[in-house]
Amino acid sequence: MPLALTLALVVYWPLSHLFSTLFTRAGSEALWQVLSAGRYRTSLLNSLLLSVAAAALSLLLSLIPAWVLARERFRGQGLLRGLISLPLTFSGVLVGFLAVVMLGRAGAVPSLLRFLTGRELLAGSAYTLGGLFTAYLYFEVPRAVMTLEPSFRRIPGELDAAARSLGAVPLSRFGRVFLPIAAPALRATFALAFSASLGSFGVALMLARRFTVAPLEVYTQLTGFSNDSVAGALCLVLAASSFLADRLLSGGRA
Amino acid sequence: MSSITTSEMRKSPLLPILWIAAAGALLGAGEKLVIQYDCIPSYANWEGVTALYKKVSGVTVPPDAKGSSVAMLALEKEKDHPLADCAYYSGAIGFQAARKGLHQPYKPKGWEKIPDTLKDPDGLWWTVHTSAIALIVNTKALGEAPVPRSWADLLKPAYKGTIAYDDPTWGGTSYTFVYGINELMGGGASNFRPGLEYLSKLDANVSSYPRESVYNAVLRGEIPIWINADGNGYKMRYADNGPVEVVIPTEGTFVMPLVMGMAKGAPHPKETKKYLDWLLSDQAQAEFARGFFLPVLAGSVPEDLAAKFLPPSEYKRAHTLDLASMAAAADALKKAWLDEIRGSGR
Repeated sequence: MPLALTLALVVYWPLSHLFSTLFTRAGSEALWQVLSAGRYRTSLLNSLLLSVAAAALSLLLSLIPAWVLARERFRGQGLLRGLISLPLTFSGVLVGFLAVVMLGRAGAVPSLLRFLTGRELLAGSAYTLGGLFTAYLYFEVPRAVMTLEPSFRRIPGELDAAARSLGAVPLSRFGRVFLPIAAPALRATFALAFSASLGSFGVALMLARRFTVAPLEVYTQLTGFSNDSVAGALCLVLAASSFLADRLLSGGRA
Repeated sequence: MSSITTSEMRKSPLLPILWIAAAGALLGAGEKLVIQYDCIPSYANWEGVTALYKKVSGVTVPPDAKGSSVAMLALEKEKDHPLADCAYYSGAIGFQAARKGLHQPYKPKGWEKIPDTLKDPDGLWWTVHTSAIALIVNTKALGEAPVPRSWADLLKPAYKGTIAYDDPTWGGTSYTFVYGINELMGGGASNFRPGLEYLSKLDANVSSYPRESVYNAVLRGEIPIWINADGNGYKMRYADNGPVEVVIPTEGTFVMPLVMGMAKGAPHPKETKKYLDWLLSDQAQAEFARGFFLPVLAGSVPEDLAAKFLPPSEYKRAHTLDLASMAAAADALKKAWLDEIRGSGR
């Protein structure tokens, strides 16, 4: 009950408020403005593409660590899990700051490379699209590992053993036993990583130079121009995309 | 058993709400308050100023992390239920806030000593101190390259990737720079071409357009040249002992007035007026100077500090901008900058 009350107060009430502006003239005009060509649509497309790419790659990268954590028993496992999940506790601005400290103009990595090779390598790469993408992976991979691990643990080990005893090679065991069972978890993880990337703001705030993403555009319109209607329309599209992704990808699970 | 209870308590969403309510009740009951929007402790020595006021009057002015634009936005959103007593802004934004009817007129003690160009005739806003736009140069991070002396110098290939100025849609200081450079290059309130042309040439050397405080990044050498308020550079040099030089470009620069306004419907009007009076006292003005912002009342800089500013001859090149035209051009110029300098967003 307290949960329902809190949700109603801090999620559904503002959301319905936002949604109702759609039916005012200014609101629907802003939505049209956001969806037609230009800076706002670019920011939305950038957001969607970046989030799909970040979700896909982080899902791929998280498979092996999640599997190892779920299926193997070894000393220091708890510590390893803790270390992997650590970046989850950092806010986006902090991750952006970390990227600057590591990959900025005077960052640790370029300084090390200069020391080793005597040349300027990767200096300022934090401010490029590659740097931004790396920073997204930095907090998406741990999230994916942490959501995949419990579902991997639920896959019965006997199935794999049975397939092996029937002579299946690792590749076909992966394709015919593991994938069908794990598919719902993989889809759900993808949807979660996608939504989290879509809403991420702090990293882009710190790193994006020309490139823009929708949450950043919301911030700029609000603080720079007091442009509520465009900011609201962008929020609506973001919320709808994230809702859709969740429905389409993990809807079947429940 | 006891650990279960604690963890369950931690999960209850009611608990933080209770804490906030308790803290609010304590604040409300215990002490006198003046709420100032945009009261960033590290900026213009507000930390020292508000601590001193607490000492002399017992009244608390809590820190507030909103920048000028966000402060104006908050006043606008809360118009029907005002929470703030006063706000501090970079000049053009304070002017705009007054225009939007967010302020009530008040002429604090010492009002008549403020130069006419630095206050509203009706008392809707007035300057408390000024700063000049300057090049803040981290000489160590610049390496071999000589310290730039002019706006023209900044376009040289030697400075590639070394320059940053804040996103003008985020900060008033940077908006002052963008508006001022346009005027200096021959543009005006309705013609942004000359400024945008200079800025797009400058873009080749710019590493980032920050939307957060990069004071520490400059001090560390991540950003060797920062176009910002001179006071921030003096503070790096004298308070933080950084390898920093402050340069007033040879072609000239712009003075940025920093202003106060009393909010319409201020919840603590009596305390607020006393506080606003005090901000123009010798004591408060000298305290602002410790943050290296130039007090608006002449002669209030303590002698030991005066020697640390560049000599007055350098400041002869700093021009005052017309706040009315600056505020009128704000939305259009910021939008043009966004489209042409930050680019299409791709």
